[in-house]
Amino acid sequence: MHELSLAMEIGRLAEERLGASVPRCVAVGVDVGTASGVEPSALSFCLEAVLSHPPWTGAQPVLAHPVGDHLLLTWLEVEDDDRPED
Amino acid sequence: MTVRKIEVRERVMARNDELAAQVRARLAAHGITAINLMSSPGAGKTTLLERTLAVLGEPLDIAVVAGDCQTQNDADRLAAHTGRLVQAIVTGGACHLDALQVSDALDHIDLERTRLLIIENVGNLVCPASWDLGERSRVVLFTVTEGDDKPLKYPKMFEKADWVVLTKTDLLPYVPFDVDRAVRHCLQVNPALRFIHVSAITGDGMGEWFDFLRRSVGPTASV
Repeated sequence: MHELSLAMEIGRLAEERLGASVPRCVAVGVDVGTASGVEPSALSFCLEAVLSHPPWTGAQPVLAHPVGDHLLLTWLEVEDDDRPED
Repeated sequence: MTVRKIEVRERVMARNDELAAQVRARLAAHGITAINLMSSPGAGKTTLLERTLAVLGEPLDIAVVAGDCQTQNDADRLAAHTGRLVQAIVTGGACHLDALQVSDALDHIDLERTRLLIIENVGNLVCPASWDLGERSRVVLFTVTEGDDKPLKYPKMFEKADWVVLTKTDLLPYVPFDVDRAVRHCLQVNPALRFIHVSAITGDGMGEWFDFLRRSVGPTASV
């Protein structure tokens, strides 16, 4: 449940960052510090569950495990529509 | 379609920490000291608090926020020992309290009549260590029925703590728990830790615990 709370907060932060006009997000990068007290595989599992629901469309979590006790939403990968605006 | 990477680098705990700072400021404005009481399940948090409320509940104007995964059994047990408010937080399965829950609980507590707030966290030696609740100090209960290597297995909990209360010391003759080794393991993780040894059943060491709580309240509080 700890990891599910964190996954939901990551989803909230990402949504806040992308704003109302959410482009299609394809990947979510998260740094899980080795001493963060977070189990990476459990967080990944929970993130997959959170990101499978709207407004997400199956964005993939990508976790890195740097040394430290931090837990960061590090980056978002989004698909841009290349069509020129009318 | 092109894929674009947006750099974010935002702390996931930032929102909780902001709320914890608000809780801390609100408590400070009322001159209230908050202690976050944490341990594994069954370490004796509720029994320690029952004895504490019976003796110091009124003299120290203690209010309690009691967190539990399911049921409010602990809050009900504690309420039987005090006329003061015991506010239950049922987390619905979540393994820790967060600052928002504590902030909401404060809305139900008469802060003008409170000098010491004890937050009984959910029994868990992992997750609660990561969540700032706005407390002034963190106390970990470490019971002699656990392995004396718990500080090495759950270092973050002991790293983030200010005090360790070694509980159920009346059981020491019956369990293979080495107190010196346990203390050594605690200090290995956090050399600044301070210790109180208690048995809430026999009363041994409770005076020291009460003295700690008395010192914790008021403008000259030292915790």
